[in-house]
Formats: sequence, structure tokens, C-alpha cells
Amino acid sequence: MLRNTADSWGAPAKLFHWVMAALILAQIALGVMAASWRVSPTKIELFFWHKSTGTLILALVALRLLWRLANSAPLLPPGMAAWERAAARLSHVLLYTLMIALPVTGWIVNSASNIPFRIFWLIPLPAIVAPDERTADLAALVHGGLAALLALVLVAHVGAALRHHYVKRDTVLTRMLPWKTP
Amino acid sequence: MKKILFLLWLCGLLLTGSAPAADWKMDPAGSKLEFVATFEKTAAPGEFKEFDARLRFDPDKPAGSRLDVTVKVTSADMNVADVNKEIRGKDWFDYAAFPQAEFHSTELRRIEGNRYVARGILLLKGVKQPVEVPFTWTTAGGGAAIEGEFTLKRGAFGIGLGEWKATDTIGADVKVKFKVKLRKG
Repeated sequence: MLRNTADSWGAPAKLFHWVMAALILAQIALGVMAASWRVSPTKIELFFWHKSTGTLILALVALRLLWRLANSAPLLPPGMAAWERAAARLSHVLLYTLMIALPVTGWIVNSASNIPFRIFWLIPLPAIVAPDERTADLAALVHGGLAALLALVLVAHVGAALRHHYVKRDTVLTRMLPWKTP
Repeated sequence: MKKILFLLWLCGLLLTGSAPAADWKMDPAGSKLEFVATFEKTAAPGEFKEFDARLRFDPDKPAGSRLDVTVKVTSADMNVADVNKEIRGKDWFDYAAFPQAEFHSTELRRIEGNRYVARGILLLKGVKQPVEVPFTWTTAGGGAAIEGEFTLKRGAFGIGLGEWKATDTIGADVKVKFKVKLRKG
């Protein structure tokens, strides 16, 4: 099944979810390591992979959003409280917002600090702001803050999925599993 | 009569532009000394903002010519604040110990037409290495310009020590590009 239905996710939606989940976890680890590593070739390598992965995530989230807009998501299980529905809605909106805002602020840091960079050694990343040290510092601060917020929302997202499975005993978690076909 | 002949000779001289070896000074306003390193296989350009070149040159008999260049290494600018901080250190240019680089030609010869090459010794970060500097010679109005580029191996001059000797993140080759505007002096 390609398209989502009222109670199941299609294969493309699951692929987007899990590929991006893996990329985002790797990306957070790369970012934390790159920022904290002492100045060395390793630090440069870490930043190179962090920036390349970030650009990939930005491209994927654009496709994912289009797919999401063309396919309505499965319905939430009946019997959820209003605050639970609101929390689900808010966390998903936040996740999409952060998946866009993090690469974009990272891109601003790269442009403002004027560091030459080609995505995976191939495609030169065009500058989106003029070189400026203060802009770079400010964007880096925002980027770090948003990353911390993303970590919090991810904890809530995973926690909620586990709660749906083990406490509410509904299909919200299992229907996103790659090997489950409805 | 002698005066007229002399004037004719002078006019001929100006028209053909062939003069005996002349001394040239650099005009800093129209001159640029750039270097291009590579950073993750991507060009990372920089420039030395302060340098000076002197040329004694006879385009037709380059054998007796001389090119002398001094570069204020500490005027390097690689356009990235963090990189500019980093290159001052001992592992890179080591500003404190080696603030100046020099090139002195030992031989100048014509390759063809207006293309020449200056062979000489480059002193950079305390290391002397023979280098060949190819350049083109052009004249315009009363002035002249030399322009060219060549490639250096940063490792030969100890630029990038310790773990920076590895060339996979920061490449081994550094391209040096120069354009020097000259006026008689």
C-alpha cells in the first residue's frame, strides 16, 4: 500500500519516518560532537558530515511535507482526551517546524561564517546571508537552542508512542512499524 | 640635426616600447596576492593584504632581470573569522616567529611572447625552497603589470603541522595567484 488510509500509514510515509528518524538521531550526535570537539581535522570532518546530513534532511522534509499534504494521516484512536489530541497535534507541528528550522539556521551559520562548503563534496551550498560574525554567532545560538527543543520534543514523541502501546494499548505505535502491513 | 635624430630615436623607443632594463615599483592599489587552499575538497580563498614587489626587467633580454617580493604573512586574510584566528598559530603560519616571506629570483627567462618564468628561492615560515613563478608581462600607458599563478605544497614549508599534516581535510596544494601593477621608479 502506498497511500495512507484512515487506520494505516502507506509505505512512503513509513520510509520517510524511519529514514529521517535515523538521520535526525545521527545528526544530533554529529552536531553535539562537532560543536564540542577541539579544533582538529576530526572537528572539520564532523562538521562536514553534520552539514551534509542537515542539507539532506532539509531536502527530505520538503518531499515528506508534500507527501503528507497529499495524503491525510491515519485518524487518532477514538477515546483520546482533548488535551491528548492537542498535545499530539502540537508535537507533530513542532517536529515539522524544527525539521525545517534547524537546517535553515545551520545554513545561516554556514553562510554568515563564510566557510566554503560543498554538500557531500559535490554541490556548493549557496550563501543565504552575507558574511557577518555577529549573525553567525546569533544563528549558532538559535540553532543550539532549537536543537535542545528538538531533543525535548523527541523524548515526548517517543514517550507518547510507548504510552499508546503499553498503557492505552492502541495501534498508534504498531501501525508505524515498517514490517507491519495492515 | 643631432637633436632631431635623438628625438626621433626617443619617439621610436616610446612607440616600440623596447627599452633597456628598467626598474619597476609596485602600485599597491592595483595589485593583489591571493592564495587558494582547499577545505574538504572545496576552494578556500585567501589573500595577503600587504606585500611589495620590485622588478628590474628588460622584456627582450630577461636574462639580467630580477624579481624581488616581500610578503607580510601576518596580513593573511582567509575570509573566515575562526580560520583567521587559527592560521596565526605555530601549526600554520606562526606569525610570531615568521612574520615575513620573501621571494628572490635567480633567473628570469622568456617562455614565449609575453610569457616569462622567474626561477628563484621562496623563503616562507623559515624554509627556503626553489620555486618557479610563471607570469605574463603587459604594458599599458606608462605602466606595466605582471600576472600569474603557481602551486605550492604547503607541507614543504611546514604549514600545517602535527595532525594537520594529513591532507584529506585540508589539501596539500595551495594555489598562489598574483597580479602586480607596476610603475617606473
